[in-house]
Amino acid sequence: MKPRPHIIMLVDDDPDFLEMNQHILEGAGYAVQCCADPQTALQKMAGQRPSLVVTDLMMKSLDAGFSFARQIKQHARLKDVPVVIVTAVSSQRGFDFRPRTADELAAMCADAFFEKPVAPETLLNKVRELLKSRDEEVKT
Amino acid sequence: MNEDNPRILVVDDELGMREGCRKILTAEGFEVETAEDGLAGLETFKRRPSFVAALVDLKMPRMGGIELIEKLRALDTDIVLLVITAYATIDTAVEATKRGAYGYIPKPFTPDELLLPIRNGLDRRALSIEAKRLREERERRLLELASERSKSNTIINCMTDGVFVVNREKQIVLRNAAAARIMPESAHVPLPAPLTVLTCAPLRDLLGETLDAGSGPLIVSKEIALDKCTYMVNVSPVLDPSGETSGAVTVLRDITALKKLETAKSMFVSMVAHEIKNPLAVIEGYLNVILTGIAGQDPKRDREMLQKSLLRARTLRTMVAELMNLTAMETGHFTIARSPIDIAKVTADAVEFTKEKARDKGIEVALDCDDQAASERVLADRDAMLSVFTNLIDNAIKYTPAHGRVGIRVEQNGMYVKVTVWDTGIGMAPEERDRAFDEFFRAKNEYTAKVPGTGLGLTIVKRLVDMHHGTITVITQRGKGSEFTVRLPKAEKAP
Repeated sequence: MKPRPHIIMLVDDDPDFLEMNQHILEGAGYAVQCCADPQTALQKMAGQRPSLVVTDLMMKSLDAGFSFARQIKQHARLKDVPVVIVTAVSSQRGFDFRPRTADELAAMCADAFFEKPVAPETLLNKVRELLKSRDEEVKT
Repeated sequence: MNEDNPRILVVDDELGMREGCRKILTAEGFEVETAEDGLAGLETFKRRPSFVAALVDLKMPRMGGIELIEKLRALDTDIVLLVITAYATIDTAVEATKRGAYGYIPKPFTPDELLLPIRNGLDRRALSIEAKRLREERERRLLELASERSKSNTIINCMTDGVFVVNREKQIVLRNAAAARIMPESAHVPLPAPLTVLTCAPLRDLLGETLDAGSGPLIVSKEIALDKCTYMVNVSPVLDPSGETSGAVTVLRDITALKKLETAKSMFVSMVAHEIKNPLAVIEGYLNVILTGIAGQDPKRDREMLQKSLLRARTLRTMVAELMNLTAMETGHFTIARSPIDIAKVTADAVEFTKEKARDKGIEVALDCDDQAASERVLADRDAMLSVFTNLIDNAIKYTPAHGRVGIRVEQNGMYVKVTVWDTGIGMAPEERDRAFDEFFRAKNEYTAKVPGTGLGLTIVKRLVDMHHGTITVITQRGKGSEFTVRLPKAEKAP
């Protein structure tokens, strides 16, 4: 029997980003769920646990993506779901969000961080890598 | 007789004595006037008081010599007063000297015996006059200097920049009123005061370093934060003639407002950068998906992505144009020409411009104008007003779901003409309404995500209305619709 595809949750308030990332991930054989805001995404994820989350950072508030990632990592059932943050605000408005070390990344409750637009291959490679290491953890 | 010859007054009751003196003195180049007693002498002096000397007999009727000498001395501090007397005694000599006589000549005398004391007296008089002139000049200079100094002090004290001077021993030796205000903790310490009275460590260090640096005309500038304010501190060394640092002058300029402006400006620039980066990232992202073929080949889907890229590119271009307009308004390069215009006509034109968009969504746009308002003219720039109402009507159509309603109402309102643009659209939450006119603000929800917009339209509308001394207000309810009201001042009616 063919294994069921990984479900990836995409969260972004810009429908164009949702769409392009959906095409990229679906093209690679993943099942994709799209959500325009973190709260709806959390509700959906509680019902159906995704294998990975790709989220925008600045949505309704400047740091909506951060609190979303924190909520995932604090959630009993979702805490192992890898989170990829993709944003255009990494060094805007006097802030510099770019994590420089693994510790900074962990402090963001994120497993990867990219600046928009992320090249399709780069995104896919990271998604594959995160899903693989998670699968290995599950096996051991 | 030459007017410029020095004049001598001879006062004696003996005619022979008067004429004898005149003869001797005239031969010596003096101009001589005579009087027969003290009173007449005083009269003569008062008539033309430019005498360099007076020869006065002691024993005279009406007014004696002692009294005359006293009176003349009181009138002229420099005149050389000589007593001529046949009754020379020590007592009278002392008395005469006390009253102001320079010396006395006992009668009878030879011409030389007369002339010598006169010459001596005149020399002394010249010296005394010269000394007096020098003294007066010196006093005038001192006065000027004092007023110069108080002028400088006044100027320094009136300066809004804080100024203080530190000597080589690191003591504050001068501070102006502004410096005392900026650093109130040291304001009451009497001068000279050690540098340590300054509680601001960076300032202390800066001064210390400058003074320790020794020679050289080095001027140090540094921004220093002090009690919620930012100061540009300039320290310039005071050099002595040998080029050694003998102290430092410090000027503190309050640049707080400039810093705030700078922060606001860089915030705006980074906001603009973000707003430009985002659509560019979308366009790049779509093109990447199409060109890499990573999502497989699907011409129909690719075409959709290209169309969406085009839409974002157009919005971006609009935004750049709007930004340029905003910048022009801010720098004053955007000028409006106000003339009486028919605002009902302008709103009708704006409705015409947006007709197609309304039709596409099945939205009916109602234009309603009361008769009185129709006859009114407002003082405005026609193109600017067309842009204001096109923008508002376009927004109303954009944020109203298909088959909703949009309307424009033109009414008379006191000194103003009131134009209301209303819709039955999605409306705004209170916090969104409060930020509706902010640069780049766009309400974020599922509906607005599908509507292209720059977040600058209403900012420009408000600026334009402000430039016309009008007002713009908004009443809105989430899910019910919005109502934007613009009030514009009426033009004076032609008499």
